[in-house]
Amino acid sequence: MKNGFVVALTVVILYTGGTLLAHHSFAAQYDATKTVRLTGTLVRVEWTNPHTYFYVDVKEDNGEVVRWGCEGGSPAALSRRGFKRGDLKIGDTIIVDGYRSKDGSRLVDAKRITLADGRVVSGASAGDGRPQ
Amino acid sequence: MTMQLARDAGAAALVVTLIVASHVAHGPAAQERSLTAIDVPSSRPTPRTASGRPDLSGYWKGTRDTKPVGNIGKDLSSWKLPLTPAGEAALKHNLTATVDPEALCIIGGIPRHNASGLPFEILQGANKVAFLYWYSYFRLIPIDPNRKHSDDPDPSFFGEALGRWEGDTLVIDSIGFKDERVWIDENANPHSDALHVVERWTRPDADHLHVETLIEDPKFYTRPFTYSRTWVLGRSDEELQEYSCSENNVNKDHLGFGPGPIRSDGTRGYVDPAPLPAPILQLPRPPK
Repeated sequence: MKNGFVVALTVVILYTGGTLLAHHSFAAQYDATKTVRLTGTLVRVEWTNPHTYFYVDVKEDNGEVVRWGCEGGSPAALSRRGFKRGDLKIGDTIIVDGYRSKDGSRLVDAKRITLADGRVVSGASAGDGRPQ
Repeated sequence: MTMQLARDAGAAALVVTLIVASHVAHGPAAQERSLTAIDVPSSRPTPRTASGRPDLSGYWKGTRDTKPVGNIGKDLSSWKLPLTPAGEAALKHNLTATVDPEALCIIGGIPRHNASGLPFEILQGANKVAFLYWYSYFRLIPIDPNRKHSDDPDPSFFGEALGRWEGDTLVIDSIGFKDERVWIDENANPHSDALHVVERWTRPDADHLHVETLIEDPKFYTRPFTYSRTWVLGRSDEELQEYSCSENNVNKDHLGFGPGPIRSDGTRGYVDPAPLPAPILQLPRPPK
């Protein structure tokens, strides 16, 4: 039981729910009514401005593997919150919770990311839009 | 059974950790790292240049007292802008037929940058002042009371800006704005090429920067209106960083027209977003 406590207490939670800033309105691109949970393999990381993107291969029920793009805040925004580029390791299985793009493309506002080591991080740039 | 107890205890501890970490993330330490700062009184005097003018130089951060951020009608009743019929038509056009120019990496311009939630930096010289913005944009303004506006300035996003001192106030008078691919604020409100902006900048103490802005645009607004705002000085180790807007602008091909929903608080953003699925707490498996 003691070990259980130790393990749990080493889990770092970086998720924050506050309004952040982005260079575009996320509400102009993503549908607040369409939540999605992706569980898949991290295949690509773009630690870029104006926003970060990472790509996840997700196996669908029919066995087909499809690639999803996940949008996060700018590198500076994520770094300020303690979410570093090295936290995303190619080949890891991660979970992304977010909102789908209104245009039907496989893009997600990556609000919450559960990393392979159990950490839960906020990838979001904004509820609003405004680099952040 | 023992293993189950361990997992239950671990989960309980994790919940505690979540709560504690959440408070830490929203406390003063998080504020210091954020793009905004808490407004606090200052007893430090206004720094001055060798010529005795206030020195506006610094990295300036907005505060949570600026509400609604991004809305140029902030100081108007119900944030209602006095649009002319042509202004109403321009707003409708912006809402239904234009993608946010800033999201397309087009300069936001003035007064939009003054309403932004993003910090900015001022570097002041004897005869010029530079405003440096996230997105790696800048405006460089001559300070010369003898300069006059051009008869027909080439339209630009920041306009033709002329600076002069009136006592301890730096006045920036701007005309010559573009009338296409511009939003006057983040909510897609319009301005025309008749826009005239007068900014009156003061630094009442070392830690605060203030602007009083007069906005005139007889084509789109029935009367001039004002926008005022205060920023606070960032920490000495904070400054702008590289922000290449067009490096990987995936959004440009996926954004809808307009700013998206405007919330009841006057800002753009998600309205009543559906709750995300509950987090999956992945505890490492105990050793066999």
